[in-house]
Amino acid sequence: MPTIHTDPPTLYAERSDWADVTPQAQYENVNPLAPIFYTEEYKDATDYFRAIVKSGEMSERVLELTENIIRQNPAHYTAWQYRYKTLLTIKAPLDVELRLMDELAVKHLKTYQVWHHRRLLLTETRKPVPELAFIARSLKADEKNYHTWSYRQWLLAYFNDDELWDGELEFVERMLKGDIRNNSAWHHRFFIVFQSGTRKGDEDRDEVVRRELAYVKQSISQAPNNASAWNYLRGVLDHSHTPYSTLQLFVQLYTVPHSPGETAVEVIDLENPPPSKDSQLPCPAAIEFLADIYELEGGNGIPKATELWKSLANEHDTIRKKYWEYRIREALQSTGP
Amino acid sequence: MSHLSRSPTDGYPTETSNLQAATESTLIDHIPDTDDTSAATLQKNAHIQFLIRNLVQGFPSKYTSQDASQPWLMFWTVQGFSVLGVALDPTNKQKIIDTVMAWQHPDGGFGGGPGQAAHLLPTYASVCTLAIVGRPGPGGGWDQINREKMYKYFMSLKQPDGSFLVTHHAEVDVRGIYCLIAVAYLLDLLTPELVEGTPSFIASCQTYEGGFSSASQPYYSLSLNPTTPAPTPTQPSVLDSPRPPLGEAHGGYTFCSLASWVMLQPLTPSSEPKPEINYKRLLRWLSNMQGSEVEIGGFKGRTNKLVDGCYSWWVGGSFGLLEAVGVGGHGDPQGLHDDGPASAQDTENWDDVDDSLFNRKALQEYILYAGQHPAGGLRDKPPKTPDAYHTLYCLAGLSSAQHRVLPSPTRRNVLLDAWESTRGMFVTLPRSRDPLDSLRKSVFADALSWSEEEGTSKFVGGNGNRLNGTHPLFNLTMTHTEAIMGHFYKQKVPTRKKAKAGST
Repeated sequence: MPTIHTDPPTLYAERSDWADVTPQAQYENVNPLAPIFYTEEYKDATDYFRAIVKSGEMSERVLELTENIIRQNPAHYTAWQYRYKTLLTIKAPLDVELRLMDELAVKHLKTYQVWHHRRLLLTETRKPVPELAFIARSLKADEKNYHTWSYRQWLLAYFNDDELWDGELEFVERMLKGDIRNNSAWHHRFFIVFQSGTRKGDEDRDEVVRRELAYVKQSISQAPNNASAWNYLRGVLDHSHTPYSTLQLFVQLYTVPHSPGETAVEVIDLENPPPSKDSQLPCPAAIEFLADIYELEGGNGIPKATELWKSLANEHDTIRKKYWEYRIREALQSTGP
Repeated sequence: MSHLSRSPTDGYPTETSNLQAATESTLIDHIPDTDDTSAATLQKNAHIQFLIRNLVQGFPSKYTSQDASQPWLMFWTVQGFSVLGVALDPTNKQKIIDTVMAWQHPDGGFGGGPGQAAHLLPTYASVCTLAIVGRPGPGGGWDQINREKMYKYFMSLKQPDGSFLVTHHAEVDVRGIYCLIAVAYLLDLLTPELVEGTPSFIASCQTYEGGFSSASQPYYSLSLNPTTPAPTPTQPSVLDSPRPPLGEAHGGYTFCSLASWVMLQPLTPSSEPKPEINYKRLLRWLSNMQGSEVEIGGFKGRTNKLVDGCYSWWVGGSFGLLEAVGVGGHGDPQGLHDDGPASAQDTENWDDVDDSLFNRKALQEYILYAGQHPAGGLRDKPPKTPDAYHTLYCLAGLSSAQHRVLPSPTRRNVLLDAWESTRGMFVTLPRSRDPLDSLRKSVFADALSWSEEEGTSKFVGGNGNRLNGTHPLFNLTMTHTEAIMGHFYKQKVPTRKKAKAGST
């Protein structure tokens, strides 16, 4: 439990400035099942909060009360909702509120409400740029936090302002450099490159696709067994309607074991970076990809795809046996007599 | 168990692969020796005791963080009992009904506790709890639900892009949409007006990976697309694109999106622009969420994250939902069983009865070996402590891996034949001209057509581990779903052929 006061806690019930409020118990005439054993401080604060909601009071002391409750239980959405309405009603300074949120967001990263409250504040203050640095700091505490990433995406899309977008590709590259397997960062990359309109300098969409393919191939060559990178590769191809077969030379390098006499490649083919020497091959994601190419080829491709799916089902990816069998069934049915 | 191959790190360790490796080391220790059969036993008694403690004695103060989720604590507990086949006595049922009714908001919907604002998530948890313990008549809960106000409350949360706020001044996300549609199904509140635009919103949340995100960002500006007709002032127009998903593909959001999508089938426009989701990509993503043998076949919730018992339900349960829209299917693959080293999976002729697209056996093993806490209750993964949430979703996930529950066309026809035109809440027209009658009829028949496929249940660890089947859309038993829907649609539900195993 977070510590609320440095002094011994004072209950609202003992405070003269709250003497005009009659606290309201949670349950009246009901003896609830599955009850929670609250601390005295929480019970006290929420008893007073229920009374305030009933009376409709919106005042400075309501901000103190709701902050107290939120610190004890950041998921108390009614306290957040009431706090928000109070802030607007009494015209409280929202930049002060935002500084308080800086502290609470990092403390309670996994709570929906801290992030949504921030959104509400930003739509009022309309100063999105400093948020980017705040988000970057929050991600240090939890690099895959769903709310933090969604908040960043919302901020970019909602304000849609060039100053916000300028360093975004660089930012996501830094995140991916820190952990090439961070799927949240890969998703962010897709969001900024393909799903939010065209940014300055990215008007040549074919060039953007080439750049992204080069980036993801390089990433796969560093750590081939990285599902995030393969999914990104597929995402780029699907989005740009680029045939999978254009990647055949590249993926084939990853579908076979390292050869015993393999030495450092003398001439690096930039289009088709090879798997790193410590990588574990064959890579099931590459086999799957090659099978997809064969399946799309049709005709003689189908038996070749089937062989690959069988190798996944029986050797390289046995947990998904049922799925690979399904793929075989589907491919045979769609080409059947 | 060291012969199991660990996830490759390609000589390139990062935080993700380090965490993965540490988790695999812990999980390997929970795979029992082959001669140890007790590890595969579902410790039903211990879990029942855990649930009874929560229900009767209550939750310790660390659960204060769930004070705004009291209906969930209750639902997880009572649905846990239902899955375990434990019936509650009338006195406790009444106490639960009285507790739940204290959460109903005077303006409609249910809140997270008495005096809390209404919110879509606790509304689902409250209504489902009432489905389990409630009854018609005074004090029974069902007839004390204020459906008119609930409908108005739902409409007050509706956004122009077809989504819903989870509560006023709060976020939009697909959990809320799922909860709203599930409740509208159970209580006969579904109208075309309520969910207009919702299928398109759900479709916009599918990410390039195939799973679904929490929400998408609407763009109301028309300047981007001059071909779109000008909107009427009261109806902001929503563009189909770009509506980027906020957040990556995620197991919980994927279940909520897919279940909503399935429930909205009778209302999804068939004319252009018809919202679409990519089933093939979705199936691939779902399938990739199953961890390998070294992860005991548990499910993860996102790419490159760790397995967690709760995704047994959110992701494991999604396969059946996909089958309901025609993805999956039956039949024996040709020429598959003739080669390759026989894996451990093949030893019990398991494949002969298993038409599922995921590894049902491995998922059951994950829950039995890693999901059970020795002192009762179920969990994310060892060495974590059990909690109310993971206890239900591990049990429900285990149940969905034991039983195949799918829409039965035969059962659907029986329900359609037995339908008697009744008045829904919104109608003043004569029954014969009620435009909602055909919608209500098909919603009712669709929802109750789900049936356990005979002869396909399979229990790792023996029949003693059998759990009750649970409805893939609502996570209620079939009996409870039929009872509450029969009541609100004013229908007599035709009796089912009693399945051999005594399905409830």
